[in-house]
Amino acid sequence: MNDVVGSVSRRAFLKTGATLGGGIMAAGMPLSQAIWAAEGKVLTARANQDVDKLDPAFYLGAVNSEVMSCIYSKLIRYKPGSEWSWELEAAEKIEQVDPTHIRFQLKKGIKFSNDYGELTVRDVKFSFERVIRLDSPSNFDWGPLDHVEVEDDYTGVIVFKTPFAPAWTLALPYGAGHIVSEDAVMKAAKDGGPFGMTPTAFSGPYVFADWKPNQHVLLTRNPEWSGPKPGFDEIRILPIGDIKTAERAYQAGDIDFTHISVDSLANFKSNSPADTTIEEKPSIGIVYVGMNIDHPKLKDINVRKAIQWAINVPQILDAAYAGQMEVATGSLARGLIGYRDKALVPPEGDLAKAKESLEKAGVSDFTVTVDCLNQSEFLTIAQVLQAQLSQIGVTAEINAQDSGSFYTIGMESEGDRWKDMQLIVQSFSNVPEPYYFSATYTRDQIGKWNWERFSSERFDELNAKAITIDDPNERAKLYREMQDLMEDSGAYRYLTNGASPFMYRTTRMQPATRPDGVPHYVAFKPV
Amino acid sequence: MASLEAIHTEANAGQGHGSFRTVLRQLRKNRLGTLGVVLVLFIAVSAIFAPLIITHDPTRIMVGPRLADPSLNFLLGTDQLGRDTFSRVIMGGRIPLLVAFVSLGSSLAVGLVLGLLAGFGPRWLDNLLLLIFDTIRSFPGIIFALAVIALLGPSLTSVILVIAITSMPIYARVVRTQTEALRSSEYIAAERSMGAGTNRILAVHVLPNVIGPLLILVSMDVPAVIAVEAGLSFLGMGVRPPTPDWGAILNDGYSYIHESVWLVIAGGIPITLATLGFTFLGEALRDIFDPKLRKDL
Repeated sequence: MNDVVGSVSRRAFLKTGATLGGGIMAAGMPLSQAIWAAEGKVLTARANQDVDKLDPAFYLGAVNSEVMSCIYSKLIRYKPGSEWSWELEAAEKIEQVDPTHIRFQLKKGIKFSNDYGELTVRDVKFSFERVIRLDSPSNFDWGPLDHVEVEDDYTGVIVFKTPFAPAWTLALPYGAGHIVSEDAVMKAAKDGGPFGMTPTAFSGPYVFADWKPNQHVLLTRNPEWSGPKPGFDEIRILPIGDIKTAERAYQAGDIDFTHISVDSLANFKSNSPADTTIEEKPSIGIVYVGMNIDHPKLKDINVRKAIQWAINVPQILDAAYAGQMEVATGSLARGLIGYRDKALVPPEGDLAKAKESLEKAGVSDFTVTVDCLNQSEFLTIAQVLQAQLSQIGVTAEINAQDSGSFYTIGMESEGDRWKDMQLIVQSFSNVPEPYYFSATYTRDQIGKWNWERFSSERFDELNAKAITIDDPNERAKLYREMQDLMEDSGAYRYLTNGASPFMYRTTRMQPATRPDGVPHYVAFKPV
Repeated sequence: MASLEAIHTEANAGQGHGSFRTVLRQLRKNRLGTLGVVLVLFIAVSAIFAPLIITHDPTRIMVGPRLADPSLNFLLGTDQLGRDTFSRVIMGGRIPLLVAFVSLGSSLAVGLVLGLLAGFGPRWLDNLLLLIFDTIRSFPGIIFALAVIALLGPSLTSVILVIAITSMPIYARVVRTQTEALRSSEYIAAERSMGAGTNRILAVHVLPNVIGPLLILVSMDVPAVIAVEAGLSFLGMGVRPPTPDWGAILNDGYSYIHESVWLVIAGGIPITLATLGFTFLGEALRDIFDPKLRKDL
């Protein structure tokens, strides 16, 4: 060994290094890819935040769900394409027997990795009942689930206490619908409790091979997967919070699929990177300004109303999105059940009314804080908001925060920071089910997801009633009234439902996304 | 025993390195030093008289179109909020200079006092202060900065505090070493024998001898502080929006570089000029006041 080391002179070492470096440069390969270099077909994509919980009973947000959909099976899933619908995944057959019963039959031969055996109805029962059994912030996904009946290894019946329309649009095809191995979870976590980022058995086409916080998630093929072979051998997901940074990463060749900002869209269209296709999809998310009703400065509804009226939404959208975004009329985007034609407060607001409200409240020249993510889009929104509030004598101090800190501000379980939260520039992804939004603003969600601490008995009644109704028109009426109640509380000023443009390298892939542009990695095809 | 005349010659040895005119003459001979003086004066004057120089309100949004190219109305174009970049760059120069002078000034003052105490005080105090200095120095600077800012929130005060705390031990250690060397010198012993008190010895004989090298050290640190302040603002951990700041302008430019390169140029050039100016000036001052140090380096 010493001989080998001894025989390598400093000059030879430098020469070899230079040759290797030169070779990489000559091949035109970005350094990051050279470091990553691996055999096989590799999909490298950007996520807007890091994964933090790969436990279906405790998942939070879209990114966790995107990764879970690669490593676990669900009975059904959203169908990629331009229309919202679902398709079978682990279920061979599934049907609504009556308003409170759904019967399903599993496909045979779906195996859990690490010798945890075949996926059976026992695992389905364990997975779904676990969501409501544990005190999870996501347990509203399963609403009034009572239990799952096991008829045999492959046939089961999901039983609800009351009719639950969102079962088909939220519970079954999304995060809490993923199926885990009962044996594996009972072994990994006491009483089958949360297992966070250490899943031990996989039932999807990929396995969770590696995770470096804030650096990457690596998924590799599941050797025991018996379903259709996925296109890529490896999926690498890089968490890049700032969308502008993601654009630079794409241009540098570090990633091959990313969403892009709306204000960059025109530029990328006229001057797109080589071998790149840009697609535009309508987003169903929501960006809004929220106010903490329980904060002493905002307790008076007249103060909140003043802030609502002072906000000129088109001005904010002009600055943050180059005027390319449509003004939101409520939490629910166009095309979703419950979409409102217009908001109660006109988009342009009214400074005279804002000042009048402040006079009613008997306050003037006060300071509020605005919490937002430390990302260009949200900082721009916060700065325009700051300028608009100054017109009514309100000084706004911006607290830009990283995602880890930001996404826990309003949670009582994470300390007392919720008490200091005043205004917040908030954004939420959504699913094509209005209950997904409404369930987060009920009174029992105060301090969990309901950070504005909005509290309305009528809202809760409507929320409970809406999930029992099948008729979309009847449901829509209730959800419209719910949004009216929220806006009338003064705690919300809706900005935009957003848009979801993305770009990808045509020499690498043919992507598959939901109608709102959310990637469905399992269905991506290599080129 | 040395004669009183010799003692006083020795005591005054470090107190002056020539008149202000001599310093200026020597600076003029040093081309980089002259360039440094010009750059520093240019930046300082533009920062002091910024309100008279700016052409628009630097925080007012939509005074022009978004991301406009430079024109007669907007000399460096506009940013993503339609704010005048020239006015933001000029006003933005006040922040790094303020941070540099306040943070280095306060760390210099505290470092000087603690260094004198450590070097001239009892052994136990010296050991205790050294332990404190080394403890502070043992934290990686950037991690310490992130921790303090996470605790206090991003603000100008946090940035100043971080820089002051992390710089202080260096100055204190330099002062302590010099003081300890002077403490056992003959002229201090002579002063003592003539009945001079500790305060007089420190103020009249020790302080003038340690302040020179310390000022050179501080002047060399200014560019580093400017870079740190800009870096923290670039990361969104410096001053709060909408206060104009070079690091924040650079960050905006990075975000919108695909749409316009002017923001990156406008944010980057002043940082480069300021750091170069202070570096050249600091090196020139070091050469003038301490040519021996230059040889050692």
